[in-house]
Amino acid sequence: MRLLSRAGKSLSRTAIQALPVVLGIVVLNFLLLQLVPGDAADVIAGESGSATAETMAALRKQFGLDQPVLIQLANYLDHLAHLSLGFSPRYNTPVGDLIMSRLPFTLLLMLSAFVLSLVVGIAFGAFMAAFARRWPDRALSLFVLILYSAPGFWVGLMIIVLFSVKLGWLPSGGAMTVGADLTGLARMGDLLTHLVLPSISLACFFTAVYARLTRSAMLEVERQDFVRAAEAKGLGPFAIQMRHVLRNALIPVTTVAGLHLGNLLGGAIVVETVFGWPGMGRLALDAVMARDFNVLLGVLLLSSFVVIVANVLIDLLHAWLDPRIESV
Amino acid sequence: MSTNMTSLPVTLLAVPAAKNGRLSAFLRQPTFVAGLLILGVVMTLACVADLLYPGDPQDLVGPPLLWPFQKTEFQLGTDSLGRDIAAGLVHGARVSLIIGFSAASIGLLIGTLVGAVGGYFGGLADNVLVRVTELFQTVPAFLLVVVIVAIGEPSLKVIALAIGIASWPTIARLVRAQFRSLREQDFVMAARSLGYSDTRIIFVEILPNALPPVVVTASVMVAGAILTETGLSFLNMGDPNVVSWGSMIGDGREMLRTAWFLTALPGTATALTVLALNLIGDGLNEIFNPRMRER
Amino acid sequence: MTIERIGQRQNGCGPARGSLPESRRTTRWIKSVLASTVLCAGAWLTPAHAETATMVLATEPPTLVSLTNVATTALAVSGKVTEGLLEYNEDLSPEPLLATSWNISPDGKEYSFKLREGVRWHDGKPFTAADAAFSINLLKKVHPRGRSTFANVTSVEVPDPQTLVIKLSQPAPYLIKAFASTETPIVPKHLYEGTDAASNPNGNTPIGTGPFKFKEWQRGNYIVYERNPDYWGKPDPKIDRLVVKFIPDAAARSIAFESGSVDFGYRTPVALSDLDRLKSLPNLKFETKGASYSYNVTRLEFNLDNQYFRDKRVREAVAHAIDRKVIVNTIHYGYATITYSPIAPGLKEFHDPTPSPYAYDLKAAAKLLDEAGLKPTDGKTRFRLTLDFNPITTEGRRLAEYIRASLARIGIAVDLRAQDISAFVKRIYTDRDFDFAVNGASNLFDPTVGVQRLYWSKSFVKGVPFSNATHYSNPEVDRLLEQAAVENDPKTRVGLFKKFQDIVAEDIPDLNLVSPTFLTLHNAKIHDLATTADGAEGNLAHLYVK
Repeated sequence: MRLLSRAGKSLSRTAIQALPVVLGIVVLNFLLLQLVPGDAADVIAGESGSATAETMAALRKQFGLDQPVLIQLANYLDHLAHLSLGFSPRYNTPVGDLIMSRLPFTLLLMLSAFVLSLVVGIAFGAFMAAFARRWPDRALSLFVLILYSAPGFWVGLMIIVLFSVKLGWLPSGGAMTVGADLTGLARMGDLLTHLVLPSISLACFFTAVYARLTRSAMLEVERQDFVRAAEAKGLGPFAIQMRHVLRNALIPVTTVAGLHLGNLLGGAIVVETVFGWPGMGRLALDAVMARDFNVLLGVLLLSSFVVIVANVLIDLLHAWLDPRIESV
Repeated sequence: MSTNMTSLPVTLLAVPAAKNGRLSAFLRQPTFVAGLLILGVVMTLACVADLLYPGDPQDLVGPPLLWPFQKTEFQLGTDSLGRDIAAGLVHGARVSLIIGFSAASIGLLIGTLVGAVGGYFGGLADNVLVRVTELFQTVPAFLLVVVIVAIGEPSLKVIALAIGIASWPTIARLVRAQFRSLREQDFVMAARSLGYSDTRIIFVEILPNALPPVVVTASVMVAGAILTETGLSFLNMGDPNVVSWGSMIGDGREMLRTAWFLTALPGTATALTVLALNLIGDGLNEIFNPRMRER
Repeated sequence: MTIERIGQRQNGCGPARGSLPESRRTTRWIKSVLASTVLCAGAWLTPAHAETATMVLATEPPTLVSLTNVATTALAVSGKVTEGLLEYNEDLSPEPLLATSWNISPDGKEYSFKLREGVRWHDGKPFTAADAAFSINLLKKVHPRGRSTFANVTSVEVPDPQTLVIKLSQPAPYLIKAFASTETPIVPKHLYEGTDAASNPNGNTPIGTGPFKFKEWQRGNYIVYERNPDYWGKPDPKIDRLVVKFIPDAAARSIAFESGSVDFGYRTPVALSDLDRLKSLPNLKFETKGASYSYNVTRLEFNLDNQYFRDKRVREAVAHAIDRKVIVNTIHYGYATITYSPIAPGLKEFHDPTPSPYAYDLKAAAKLLDEAGLKPTDGKTRFRLTLDFNPITTEGRRLAEYIRASLARIGIAVDLRAQDISAFVKRIYTDRDFDFAVNGASNLFDPTVGVQRLYWSKSFVKGVPFSNATHYSNPEVDRLLEQAAVENDPKTRVGLFKKFQDIVAEDIPDLNLVSPTFLTLHNAKIHDLATTADGAEGNLAHLYVK
C-alpha cells in the first residue's frame, strides 16, 4: 500500500518536473538542429548523385523546408500535442512507426546490457569489498579498471574476432537470422545468440562502473552504526554483508544506474554500428546524417521518457531497499 | 565511451579532505604513483613529439602496411597509406591529451559555474539551473557531441567544445551539492558578516573547499573525453588534420583481420592513458577521503 | 520427412525445384541424416530456405522504387519488383524486357516500343502501354535526372495497349540507353495517378511486374522479396526468396561474407584493403562484369573563382604534383583504372586515353608556381588551401590525405575539412565556399547524361548538386556538348566528345584521376548474377543457387 501511494506521488512529481525538461529538449534541439549545415534535400541529392533545380525545390516543399523555422517548430509542437511524432519524408513513414520498429531491439539491448552490468558489477563489487585491500581485491580491481579504460567498440571488435571469426560460436552482427522463418523458442534462441556479443561489449564499461561503486559504497556502509549494531547482535558476517551492507550500498549504485539509462542509448550508437544492431542509437545517428530531424527529435523524446520512467522505478526500488528514505 | 562522463564513484564522496600529511599519503599509493608515471611518460612523449619525429606525422613516408620491426626506420610499421605508426602514436598522444584536458576544462568551467551559482543562491536560480542540468543529462551525451560537431566542423576546437558541453552536468551536480552543504558553515557565515561580496565568497571562500571531489572527477572526465574522441574518430567524425589515436583505430579497423597491429597499438595506447588517469583519480579519491584510509 | 527437411537446411542448396535422380536423392538423404546428427544443435541457426539468396547493402534504401530518389541503395533493390522497358548487355546494347521490340526513326525523333503481352502487375491488374506512358511523363517531372533525360520529349502516345510511341523535339542519342529498370522504372498507373509520387505508399510496399514480389521490410534490418509465381518470364526467377540485409560496417560485411550469412553484394561491398584476403577464400567469387551501367570518375575539382586556381599555372602545378599511379595502387589497392579524361575508360567508344599534358613532375610544378609569383614566404610554404572531400566513400578521405601530402612537397599547405554529405553538398554547390574538392561523379550510361553537367556553362546553377562545381565556362566546350547531345550520327558524336576531351584536358578546370573498379562479390554457390550491364541492380530473374 505504502509503495503504491508512493508510486503515485513519485509519478505525479516526476511528471510535473519532467514536462518542462522534455519541452526544453524539444525546443532546444529543434533550434540547435537548424544550425546544422545542409538539409534533407541536399542529402537526397548527394546520395542520388544527380538533381535539377526543380527536383530540389520539390524535395524542399515535400519536406516542409520551404517554411520559416518558427512555423516548422509550431507544426511540430502541434503534432506532439496530438500525440504524434510527425512524419519522416525521407523514409515516407510516420516517425512513430520508424521508432516502434526499432524500439523492441533497443530495449532488448539496453535492458540486457543494463541487467548484465548491474548483476556482474554488483557481484564483482561485493567480492572486492569482501576482500578489500587483499590480493583478490587488487587483481579484480585492476581487471575492472581495464574494462573501465578500454573503448567499448574496441572490446566489441575483439570479441567479434574471437567468438565469431575464430571460434564461430556466435553470429557477428544483425539481430536475427533473416529468412529463417523461426517461431517460438527457436526464434527466441536465435535472437539471444545475436544479442550476446553486443550486450557484452555495451555492458563492459558499466560493469566496471557498478563494480567500483558497489565496492566503495559497501566499504562506506560497513562503518555505519547499524552495521556495528548488527555485528553486536551476533549476526554472521555473510548475513550482515548481504542483508545490511549490500542492501544499503545498492542505493547509490542504482541512483547512478538510473542516470546511465539515457546514456546507454547514446553509448549504444558505436556498439550498434559495430554489430549492425537495428537499434535507436543508429537510427538517431542516421537521422543526424540525413537531416531527418523529426526522427531525431522522436528518438530524443523517447529516450528522455525512458530515463524518466526509469527514475521513477529506481525511486520505488529505493523505498523498498531502505524504508527510511522518504519521497522528497 | 562517451558514457563515462556521468559515472563516477566520486559522487558519493562529498567529504572534506584531509588537511595534513597529504604529500606522503600521495606517495604511499602504489597505484597512484603508477598512474602518475604512465601519464608522465605519455605527456613527455607528447611534448617531445616534434623532436622524436620531426615533420608531419600524416606524411606518406614509406611503403604501405609494413609490419612492426619489418624495417628499422619504421619500428612500429606503417599504415595503409604508408604513414609511420610510431610517429602517429607520439603525435597522437598530444592530440588525445589536448582533447582530454581541454574538454574536461570546458566541462569543469561550465559545471562549476552552474553548480556554484545554483548551490550558493538556491531559490529560483537554483531551480532553473537544476532543470537545465537535467535537460542536458537526459539528452544522450554522445548524440549531443555528434550534433554539435555536425554544426561546426570536426576540428579539435569544436570536438573539445562539444565534449565539454556534453559533460558538464556531472560537475554541476557535484559542485551544487558541495555548495549547499558548505554555505551554511561557520566560515561562510563569518565571511558574510564581514560583508564580502557573493562573488568573493563563492570563488575565494567556498570553491577551494569544494574542490577536492571535483578534482577527482576531473581526472576521470579527461579519461572520458579521450574515449569519446576515440569513438567519434571511429565513426569518421574526427579532425582529419591531426593524427589522433581514435583516427588511427578508425583507419586501421577495416584491416583488423590482416593487420591487427594498426588497431591494437593505438587501442593499447588509449587504454593505457585512460587507465593512468583512472588510477590517478582513484588515488586522489582515497587520499581526499580520510575515512577510507582508516582501514 | 522431417529429417529430409532438416537435411536440406544443412546442405544449404536443396534440389532445384523438380526431381533429382533417385540415387542422388538417397545419397543426399544419408548425408542429411549424418549432417543433422552432427549439427542438429545448430540447425535452427541456418536459413530454412534452401533457395534463398541474400544481398548485402551498407545502408538502408530510402525507398524501394527508384522514382523520386535514385540513391545507390534504392537502385540496388528497385529493379527486382519494378521493371523497365529494356535491359542492357555488358556493352550497353539494349535487350528486351517489358518491351519486346523497338524502333527509332531515322531522324532520331521518334521511339516506338512494342510491349510484352500478358504481363500483370503483382496485384493482378494488367500491364499496358498506358502504364508505360504514364511512368515516362511522371519521371520527366519527379525523377532527379528525368527533367534532363527526357528534356526533348514532346509527347508520349499510346496508339494501342501494346504500343508506346515517344516523340522528341530533337534527337536524343543517349535516350535508348535510359530504359533500364533502375533508371526508368515503369510503375503502375492505377496506384500513382492523382497522387504525390514521393509520398506514395508504393515506395514502401512496391507493386511491379518483376520476378520478385515485395513481402516485408523490417526497418533498419532487412527486406524480404518472394518469388513471383506468375512472372511473365516463367520459369524464372530461379530462387524462392531474395533477402536484402543492411550491414553498416565494412568489417562486419566481410565477416558476413565469410560466414555465409550474406551471398552477394556489388560496387565492392567490402573494404578494399580486405579484398586480397577474401580472394584467397574458396567460397567467394569476384566479378568485374555488371558494372557498366554506371562508371564513376574520381576527380579533383578546382574552384575557378578561387584567387589561386583562377591562375591556370597553379592548376597545372597541382596536376604535375599528383601521381595517379599512387592513387591506383595505394589509395585504391589496385582496384581502379587511371583516367585523364572525365569520360571513364569503361565507356570505350568515347573515352580518350591520351595522357594529361601535365605529367607527374615535381620540378615542373615548383617552376610553375615560381612563375606565378607564389614563392615560399618562410622558405617552405607558398600558400595555404583547404581541401574538402566527398564523404560518401572511404577512398575520398584517403585520396584527400594523399593530395595533402603531395602538395606539401611543392610548398602548398593543405588543410582537410571533413563534413557529412549534406554539409559537403551545401558547401560546394550552394555556398560555393571551397578552394578545391575531391569529388566523384558517375558517367551513368552516356557522357551527355553524366559528363555534360560538369562542364557545361549553363549547368553552373547554385544549389544543384553535381552540376558545374568548378564554374568552368568555355564557349567552344558548350558548343561541342550541346551539339553532341543532339547529334544523331554516332561517329560524328564520338568525334565531338574527343574534341571536348582535348580541350578540358588542356584547360584543366578539374583533374580527372581514376575510375574505381566496382567488384561484385558473391558466394560460389550463386550463379548468373551479373548477366546485364547493371549486374546486381538488375531484376536477378536468372540468378540461381547451386
